[in-house]
Amino acid sequence: MGNEARELVLKEVNRELLLNLLAGGKRMDERGPNDYRQVKVQKGVLSTAEGSALAQIGDSKVLCGVKYGEMTPFPDRPTEGVFMVMAEFLPLASPTFEPGPPSPESIELARVVDRGIRSAEVIDTKSMFIEEGKVLGLFIDLYVMDHSGNLTDTAALAAAAALADTKVPRLEGGKIVRGDYTGPLSLTDKPVTSTFIKVGDKILLDPLRSEEHAQDCQLTVGTVDGYVVCMQKSGSGSMTKAEVMGCIDIALEKGNELRSHI
Amino acid sequence: METPELIKDGKRLDGRALDGLRPIRIMAGVLKEAEGSAFVEWGGNKVICGIYGPRECIPKHDASPYKSLLKCRYTMSPFASLEEHGRSGPNRRSTEISKVIREAFDSVVMSGEFPKTQIDIYVDVLQAEGGTRIAAIAAAAVALANAGIPMKDMISGVAVGKIGGQLAVDLGKAEDNLGESDMPIAFTHRGKEIVFLQMDGKLTPEELSRNIDAAMEASDKVYALQAEALRKSYDSEGGQELEM
Amino acid sequence: MERIVLPGDVVWEREVFASGTWVKDGITYAKVPGMLRDEKFIPLEMAYRPKVGDNVVGIVVDERNAGYMVDLNLPYNGVIPTRKVRISLRLGGMVYGKIAFVDEVGNVDIGEVDKLPAGKLITVPASKVPRIIGKKSSMLNQIRDISGSSVFVGNNGYIWIGQKGNMQLVMKALDLIIRRAHTTGLTDQVAKYLDENR
Repeated sequence: MGNEARELVLKEVNRELLLNLLAGGKRMDERGPNDYRQVKVQKGVLSTAEGSALAQIGDSKVLCGVKYGEMTPFPDRPTEGVFMVMAEFLPLASPTFEPGPPSPESIELARVVDRGIRSAEVIDTKSMFIEEGKVLGLFIDLYVMDHSGNLTDTAALAAAAALADTKVPRLEGGKIVRGDYTGPLSLTDKPVTSTFIKVGDKILLDPLRSEEHAQDCQLTVGTVDGYVVCMQKSGSGSMTKAEVMGCIDIALEKGNELRSHI
Repeated sequence: METPELIKDGKRLDGRALDGLRPIRIMAGVLKEAEGSAFVEWGGNKVICGIYGPRECIPKHDASPYKSLLKCRYTMSPFASLEEHGRSGPNRRSTEISKVIREAFDSVVMSGEFPKTQIDIYVDVLQAEGGTRIAAIAAAAVALANAGIPMKDMISGVAVGKIGGQLAVDLGKAEDNLGESDMPIAFTHRGKEIVFLQMDGKLTPEELSRNIDAAMEASDKVYALQAEALRKSYDSEGGQELEM
Repeated sequence: MERIVLPGDVVWEREVFASGTWVKDGITYAKVPGMLRDEKFIPLEMAYRPKVGDNVVGIVVDERNAGYMVDLNLPYNGVIPTRKVRISLRLGGMVYGKIAFVDEVGNVDIGEVDKLPAGKLITVPASKVPRIIGKKSSMLNQIRDISGSSVFVGNNGYIWIGQKGNMQLVMKALDLIIRRAHTTGLTDQVAKYLDENR
């Protein structure tokens, strides 16, 4: 059975049940609609990377490694460093992940996390200038290791925690001295995301995989303290303005809760 | 650049004796989705392995009516090395390693029980410090057992080599780069059959023979840790929480 | 006396044909992790192989001329042959049935099929199913009684839980059984748990 057919069947399997449960004020597990599963963050788990963290939301696990490199700057910003976010959906993370080129889902996830970090301007890219024609590059790699739903929030949390763990390498003659650091990366904030699904007329935070199967659509809201810094609606359903505003309020509150784990 | 002295007063760079292993920590059943899994920290190596299958063989025309097709994908993360950021995904090195790891397990996995299917071994090196393929084999054996894939025997191994003119067990990264020879080797635990063997360098037959004996002895210590990890996975409540 | 045995370990110094073991030169070895208790080998993990007469829970995933194709948590879908179907099924619908036929490569026909209404489908390791059912269904019956839920257990590792009753309690009890499947006195442990958490 192809993955698309499987998704359709899984939607059928989970949707009626979830709708019935929601009508009785319940969801697939014992949480309330706006509760996160258990959140756990381990920082500094890799000694080969300049920054790293393993984030877990429920059984979902994402590892983030941050590496510095020397790069040519973009022509329109010759004095600014460059950072980029990439995501790998490891085949060991889910029976539906297959080895091969990046899927649209993994590219979407990386770009949403990237937008949150970029819009919040948490990294001072001007401080990453080395010399004319040469800047520091910051590679933020997200390794999805276990997929039990809501990968986006798990990945954004891993990225924020890994950045908070990142040490700036010492430069010598315009070159990085590996394993030698000048101090921690200075960050203005810790951007995280909160993801909601809409099922029928109900909205749930931090969906389980089985709840995602039953969803109409999904909304991710990235926040720093007091501000929304990115949003992404995905899936084919629709939401009203009131629903979106409701998600934003909860995301701002829950964002602080997530940040407390970093 | 000055070459550091790899052996001084009978001790190696990290203070180990010539036949000493780096610290090894193994956990079984650390992933929820995979049907079997293991995490191995071996010196500065961190490796995670997940197993899926027996499941539908894709592409279908690869399927054998007599047995399950064992597949292995070993990859290295872009942040695995202290050096510059790497490229993710398979390359020539990882493709070769994937092939020989798969063949090592082909000799113990009882694939005839599951015709027309495939069994996937996915190993990802999260952090590397020399000897990743041997750490990958240690992880894969535990993960396969954790998945309930029938095996005639467990597999464990170690890299042995020659540094500073002397035989040494479990080479670290500097020893691998600067030493005279590196020989990763893996054995079935009970049968002591060699199921994985690579070698580079220049050794006499006598040196090779001693290498194999030393590797066999060290592999038994690795096996003891693999077995302990599997036994421990039944003590703990709710599986093993992944501590990286 | 009990001990955990790993693949390749000698279970008996003689020839015994038991699940989870294999024989060579008159010696019986383990091929999966197992518990050796009172001279009995209990596999702790084992990939499922279908047998005629096994009860299964499945999901209808396709409809073809030959019949309904059913996902059974196996490498290949099982079939409910058209000539045996007396009920109409829909894609994504869940069924409970018995394995009627298995060929040499593991293709499965399902008979005695009943339709299951919308409910929670969970996947458990097939090696733990015998403990979930218990002797003469003792374990399963006590879960059903105390939770008030309808529960159907497939040997294939799929379990269907009805919406009436305490679904969360059933899931927690199943989780407890899976974690402690190798321990003794499990029925009493679960009875105590159910009683404390009902």
